[in-house]
Amino acid sequence: MKREKYQLESDANLFVFEFISIGPKGKILKLVHYSETNLKGYYNIGFGDKDEVTGKINDTSITNNGDSQKVLATVVSSLYAFTERHPDARIYAEGSTDGRTRLYRIGITKNLSDIKKDFYLFCFDGSQWLEFEEGIKCQAFLIQRKIITFVK
Amino acid sequence: MSIKQLNNTKTPIVKINPALNDLAGKNLFPEKLRKANETLEKFGVPKMNDQK
Repeated sequence: MKREKYQLESDANLFVFEFISIGPKGKILKLVHYSETNLKGYYNIGFGDKDEVTGKINDTSITNNGDSQKVLATVVSSLYAFTERHPDARIYAEGSTDGRTRLYRIGITKNLSDIKKDFYLFCFDGSQWLEFEEGIKCQAFLIQRKIITFVK
Repeated sequence: MSIKQLNNTKTPIVKINPALNDLAGKNLFPEKLRKANETLEKFGVPKMNDQK
């Protein structure tokens, strides 16, 4: 998945990431946040636009800045950074709307072979968790990094 | 890690911005976090790989 990405900035512990989307609508500040759920070790990923003046975050806006693939690749790269620092973390992901969750599923399906090299991936179909497979309908996802040991 | 391994890694180089430290502990997406907690509590979690 060698896609173009934006430069990420983060807090010291890699829980909050920011980057700037650049396109026809101008520069838009994006924020990705990994916050721990009530279940220890399980984190929710949140993603949205940040208003630079008010600091408010909007996770339902449709930016249409012509760079959705680059934005998605940048969010995925934050997942690599986060799980590199927090290798035991399990990440819960759900779109802010059904349409956005569907877009996530399409994006995952397109890159499934690459994703499965690095992550365990599960799909919540509305009643149970299943291992992610192409064509499966998901309301949410759960992701865990595979730990790969380099051999000299 | 060798240069070849470093070149092949998908982990990005991240610039640390201390101004973001204050946001780390905040609940920035309360509705999404509430939904995540609700699903995890109601339906549990899949049997995931214990890598230790």
